[in-house]
Amino acid sequence: MNDHKQELFEAELRRMAPARPPADFMARLMAARPPDKIRHQAQPAVVSGPRAWSLLRLRWLVPAAAVVIIAALGVWQLRLWPARLSWQTRPASAAPALKADAVRIDRELISAFDAVARLPSGEPVRFRCSQWMDQVVLSNKERGIVIEQRTPRVEVVPVRFETY
Amino acid sequence: MNSGCQRETPAQSDWEQWLARNVSGLLLFARQQTRCEADAQDLVQEAVVESWRRQADGAPPPLGFVFATIRRRAVDLARKEDRRAGRETAATRETPACWFDSTVEERERSRLIAEAMRKLPEMYREVITLKVWGGLTFREIAEALEIPANTAASRYRYALAELRKRMPEILA
Repeated sequence: MNDHKQELFEAELRRMAPARPPADFMARLMAARPPDKIRHQAQPAVVSGPRAWSLLRLRWLVPAAAVVIIAALGVWQLRLWPARLSWQTRPASAAPALKADAVRIDRELISAFDAVARLPSGEPVRFRCSQWMDQVVLSNKERGIVIEQRTPRVEVVPVRFETY
Repeated sequence: MNSGCQRETPAQSDWEQWLARNVSGLLLFARQQTRCEADAQDLVQEAVVESWRRQADGAPPPLGFVFATIRRRAVDLARKEDRRAGRETAATRETPACWFDSTVEERERSRLIAEAMRKLPEMYREVITLKVWGGLTFREIAEALEIPANTAASRYRYALAELRKRMPEILA
């Protein structure tokens, strides 16, 4: 299909308006207005210039901090190990390892926003920032155990300005 | 002490205007994602209210974000009720609420378009609905569907070609 035909066809499709929602549904929606919310003053919607760059530059801090914490925990566990062996008198068979029989991994988009910065050459660059909540749920039905872990994550993706 | 925050209630008029402008498109999308009208309406209400609540600055939420929430909720609903397969074929199996408004003269055209849309694979139907009746850009569609923008654009072109093949009389 060439561009002209495509445009004509799109125009034909656009002529059809989506069906109006039923009146009772609209009334229900009107009444469902969200409650009060907090508005933060002077919070710029667009992060520009040096701040955007510093955000990008500091991206490595999050995984680096996680690695440091994990390493520190590992060292701490190793130091505790001999002490734990001394007071742990129960035989291994008495405490069977917990096996998850269901694992659910999910993620939820919390928010998304654009930030705009300029390269030293003056060319604008857009950053697509998304805030995600990763969720892992392990469960063992036999023992009635559910372990849920939620981890916030920020994704910053530089993109060019494009016209669609 | 000035905390830099103030209590803000979204103005009723903003809320109503936003709903009047966008609910038709959102409901069309939700109808395509669910098996029945009641589910579609519930999804739209939940997604709209949730999206507005999440806007910390009191501004209306980006439309793409609301569409994404509807889609995510539809998937959750299908999973919860163990009827994913049902959702994927719902549009072809059910006789849902009318998708488009039409005058008497346009009724046949409206029926043809809705029928052809129902027969499209879901991934193409989503893109075409978001673009044509949702008014989203390819970038916003990509974010809503969690696919690359180029994929959204190519799916759209393919979907248009497929639709046109299925109803050549529209341009006759």
